[in-house]
Amino acid sequence: MSRLNPFAKLPGLNTASVLLVESEEHFQQSLAEALVEETSVTVNVRLAKSFPLPIENDESRPRIDLVVFIINLTSELSFQSAEASLKYLEPGYFLGKVCFMVTNARSSSVPAERLDAVRRLAASLHCPLLFAEEQTPQGVTNAAERLLTILKAAAGFVPFTTPLYLSNLTRCTLPPDIDQPSFD
Amino acid sequence: MLTQHKQLAQLQTRCQTPEEDMQSFRNFPAPSSSSGGVLWRMAHIVEENKLTLTHLAELEMIHAMENPNQGMWYTFQLLEPENDAQSVELTQFKQQFKCHLSELLRQMSVKIKKHTDEAVWIRIALGSSFSKPNHLKPTYVVHYLQTPYVFVRNLTSKLKPLLSQALTLATRHQGVKEANLSGRNLTSIRDLLMRQYQQVFPTKYRSPPEEEDQPVLNQHIEKEQGGVAAHRRHMAHQAFGDGMLPQLQSAVYMLDTKFRDPNNRTMTEREETFKCVVKFSSIDLLESLRSCASSGIASAPVTPLLSSIPLKGRNYFVVTDNTPGPSSQGHQTQN
Repeated sequence: MSRLNPFAKLPGLNTASVLLVESEEHFQQSLAEALVEETSVTVNVRLAKSFPLPIENDESRPRIDLVVFIINLTSELSFQSAEASLKYLEPGYFLGKVCFMVTNARSSSVPAERLDAVRRLAASLHCPLLFAEEQTPQGVTNAAERLLTILKAAAGFVPFTTPLYLSNLTRCTLPPDIDQPSFD
Repeated sequence: MLTQHKQLAQLQTRCQTPEEDMQSFRNFPAPSSSSGGVLWRMAHIVEENKLTLTHLAELEMIHAMENPNQGMWYTFQLLEPENDAQSVELTQFKQQFKCHLSELLRQMSVKIKKHTDEAVWIRIALGSSFSKPNHLKPTYVVHYLQTPYVFVRNLTSKLKPLLSQALTLATRHQGVKEANLSGRNLTSIRDLLMRQYQQVFPTKYRSPPEEEDQPVLNQHIEKEQGGVAAHRRHMAHQAFGDGMLPQLQSAVYMLDTKFRDPNNRTMTEREETFKCVVKFSSIDLLESLRSCASSGIASAPVTPLLSSIPLKGRNYFVVTDNTPGPSSQGHQTQN
């Protein structure tokens, strides 16, 4: 089973590469278009549905600086697919090079347990958890901006900041009352 | 308002003269809304031109022919043509049909018209032995001569056997059966049955210029699993075709098979078959099935249960546990 390795290749000059993994393949397209508009850095975006990635692309794939799992909270399949993909990443990624992005958190059809499960997953891996709104262009732009901040740090463009240092500040933490029933 | 009241009074006095055909159109509501005003002007026009019920029935038929995509159409297929079935032409069909139907029914009104696209439209209004034909609920029958297909709207159970008999005799066939295809758009079900939409023919080698569904893709954005997506899209288009698909509204599967689920032992161990009905409904069913298959929601290759909707031109299936044979009713379930 070949895993994705964060340090196996050399980085490109003034380039950051991000891999967006989304089981529905819906939000990643508009997010990718917003990400490539960044001018100070060349951003390469790779889109995937799930792991494992096809072996044919191993040669041509650049070094992936940040892996983003986009989870649609209204779909259980989305969460399970993201969870199943985690084992295809080398442990080196979990030192600040993995991020979780969640959409449709405000939808009323979302069971509270799913958001808690995503929180627990992100907290156990020490990864940041971002909430995004995918249906308006403003929401897509906001999500892209926040992702770019993390991406720049993960790719090494921010001086005196390593991805591990940033993830210590931005990682998801569980609220102390997560095990208590919530009142809706 | 006052003039309208005056006109209503005038109309009522005029209507005192015996005019039996106009009876059903005489009770007009007081013109308080704009629709009342329209009804008003209509009544006026009808009165002035001395239109009878036959004229109005003709108008309604013209309207129905111009707007065929209303109501629910059901399909029938004529079976076992006799030797001269191919040579039945319009006048002969009209004569034979009217003759046979009038032998079977007393009180009825039949109109037959030929549409510009070679379809024969028949409007039948039935009455009973006590009442005149009910023109408010006519049955429409559309038949394309020299094809075995008949489309019917608003068929009553009383008219059904009589219509079948009249049709088989008039078209020189020996029987008629239900074709298991129904829909709201007459043009769509006709196109589906007679294969008048863009078909895809299976090819062994893919055509060289592969169509990109996103022709202008930023060079910095790259899909990892683009090949898989293209393959799915190719298989969805193989099953359903490339271009515009006829609009169907539903597909119904009557399942009469043994329950199969490895996780549920109690149900699987039962000897009797498990009967259930699965219904898919949508505003454009075939288009949504195609996009389900190409986006990966439905498994690709497309299961024959779904792809046989356009292939066989039906949207009502009975699925049993028989091995797949030449009969169109039996179908082995896929799990």
